[in-house]
Amino acid sequence: MITKPLQPILTVSVPPHAHCGRTIKGYMSETLIALLPAAIMAIVAFGMGAMRVVALSCAVAVLTEAICNKLTKREQTLDDFSGLHTGLLFAFLLPASAPWWLVTMGAASSIIIGKMIFGGLGANPLSSPLIGWATCRISWGDAMDTNTTMLMSELPAPLQQLKYFGLDSVETIDSISLLLGKQLGGLGEVQIAALLAGGVFLLIRRHIRWEIPVAFIVGVAVTAWIYQLIDPTAYASPLFHLLTGGTIFGALFLATDPASTPVGPIPTILFGLMAGIMVIVIRVYGIYPDGVPFAILLANLFTPLLDRIRPKPFGGAYQLTQEPEDEALCEKC
Amino acid sequence: MTTFNFSLLTGDTGPLVKGTEPDRLHIPIHAHTPILAAGDQVLAGTKIATANQPGEGDLHAPMSGVIKAITPDYMRIAVNGDERADATKPPADLGELKQWLREQGVNVGNLNQASRLIINAVPPEPGITIYDPLLRDYRKTIELGVETIQRIASTSKMNLVAAKGNRANAFANCTVMHVAPTYPNGLDQLVIKAVTKEEVLLGAHHKDAVLLSVRDLYFIGRVMETGRPVTETVMTIGTQNHLVRIGTPVGFLAGEAGATVQPGDRLILGGLMRGMAALNLEQGVNKDTTGLQLVRDDESIKATDSPCLGCGECERHCPARIMPGMLSRCSEFKFFERAEKFHIHSCIECGICSYWCTSQRPILHYIRLAKYELALLRTATSNLPTDTQEETGQQTGESE
Ligand code: SF4
Ligand code: SF4
Repeated sequence: MITKPLQPILTVSVPPHAHCGRTIKGYMSETLIALLPAAIMAIVAFGMGAMRVVALSCAVAVLTEAICNKLTKREQTLDDFSGLHTGLLFAFLLPASAPWWLVTMGAASSIIIGKMIFGGLGANPLSSPLIGWATCRISWGDAMDTNTTMLMSELPAPLQQLKYFGLDSVETIDSISLLLGKQLGGLGEVQIAALLAGGVFLLIRRHIRWEIPVAFIVGVAVTAWIYQLIDPTAYASPLFHLLTGGTIFGALFLATDPASTPVGPIPTILFGLMAGIMVIVIRVYGIYPDGVPFAILLANLFTPLLDRIRPKPFGGAYQLTQEPEDEALCEKC
Repeated sequence: MTTFNFSLLTGDTGPLVKGTEPDRLHIPIHAHTPILAAGDQVLAGTKIATANQPGEGDLHAPMSGVIKAITPDYMRIAVNGDERADATKPPADLGELKQWLREQGVNVGNLNQASRLIINAVPPEPGITIYDPLLRDYRKTIELGVETIQRIASTSKMNLVAAKGNRANAFANCTVMHVAPTYPNGLDQLVIKAVTKEEVLLGAHHKDAVLLSVRDLYFIGRVMETGRPVTETVMTIGTQNHLVRIGTPVGFLAGEAGATVQPGDRLILGGLMRGMAALNLEQGVNKDTTGLQLVRDDESIKATDSPCLGCGECERHCPARIMPGMLSRCSEFKFFERAEKFHIHSCIECGICSYWCTSQRPILHYIRLAKYELALLRTATSNLPTDTQEETGQQTGESE
């Protein structure tokens, strides 16, 4: 046999034998790098509280993933940083004042019901950190409310003010301070400028594509603009909506999650638009001040449907038939 | 693997080098049935095995020697000279000519009647430059090959497809077409598409066109010229192109090229995108081998069983516009029938999906597995060659 061991023993593997060099770990660590400026800004803005939430959330997420892997007897996957990634994204959605039990519950449910229950990395039909966020928001709404838990802060809470006190109450807030993160909300999601920088980095490194973020932002802006046209005294401007709450964070980091979003150019654009439109619809009519998380979760649900919009496959659809078409071959025998 | 890119530009290649004679040959025969037994004497050009697949060419000994062993995979010949069997004359009759070519080791599977002959001069893969010296230095032979095909397939139109930037001079009555010099544009399916605008699935034939590569035509021309069978292949080794006898052990070729193979390295028969890794240094090259590349252990991709992230990198680059990630998942979890709903048969096996996969999944391999399983499932009762047939072949080979 050709298989007897001859020296030197060669590596035998399947083609292709070349690779572009991308790895899961690379993707995750560069995304973490992209989140870093916002994390630093958050700690600058909200102090040790933010640091505590971020550290706890990341630790709980990583630990939960390890335990899940252990229980389900799967290989440990901590070194791909995906647990850390989910934990950090979840922390960004929390107010800096979040109590330890809330962080723990949220981070754990992000991992367990957001990810592991569906089969782990890559199998989640919905964005994992948003699952954790939704769990907390629905179960412990009061503790999640930035406005009530951060009464000491002098920062404005634009979306809450808009919802409960009307457009007049937010007229005085200027866009530059919003851009620099001088507002209440999720501790990382409001660091708009830092997030934009991170998003540009990811775009350049081609970890995310322009379609979803752009469509998302267009969806938000156009819908907000339409409402403003209807009644300029009741509805805020597109710019206000873009710079408040989690719009930018959602567009660049949550709506671009690989697993729960479609791929093709048309599906991704539809996906982004859909999520963007929903953001404003929820902000205007919903009971929650910020519509970003729910809008993205809702759009995630449409991913399987959107993924059905496909170009025609090469050579057309073909099924191998039960009766082999061998006549052509047999002629030549 | 940072130096790898998809460019198909060949640049300047030197003349075709005739390979040194090895002292042993390991001729791969897993698609053939041996007609001789161990101990038999062969001359260069003696037929040693007949093809199992209709349309495929038979095998001949490239050099004279003694058959030392026959296994299901290869036949070992100890070389003792270059004495040649008598040449035969091509028959005048067209019907017989095709059969004769087949007996001379030419693959005639796709020589159907058609109105158009497409000559593929686009390098099949990055780093494979075999067409360039053939087109430059062996025009007469190739022209003879073209004439032969025109007679057999009665084609009236002819296209030469070349990569933009590579040398390609037209033949008489032949339109030259240029495609962008990037992989996978040299794959047969995409070349057919470039000329006819029609997409033909992998493994199917175009209704009205015959596609042959420059290399095929060169060998057909040589057979017609000399009356001797095909026993060689043209391979790119390093930057040079060599005329290599089939069955030459890869280790011998690597040694000739001055490379030392370390444990754990890979020797690739063909290009890096679609080539096959050699099992050991003694594995012989076969008729389709287009190149030999050495990939060091530390610079090679190690396929993982990591999950698919759903990132869609594969899908964005797939020339067949299908979802390789989804197909690999179907195959991974044994939903082979489902893979058909995701158009697995459209895949032209270029390997680009695995090249880009963030998870470094062996996507192409998963796809091939699913195709294989589907074929077994659907054609269980048919007479397609399966393992059992190969086994019968092997038994006859041994009993003779
Ligand atoms: S090998 Fe991959 S990239 Fe190439 S056609 Fe098949 S699925 Fe598409
Ligand atoms: S590139 Fe790899 S990980 Fe990404 S979708 Fe394709 S198979 Fe999945």
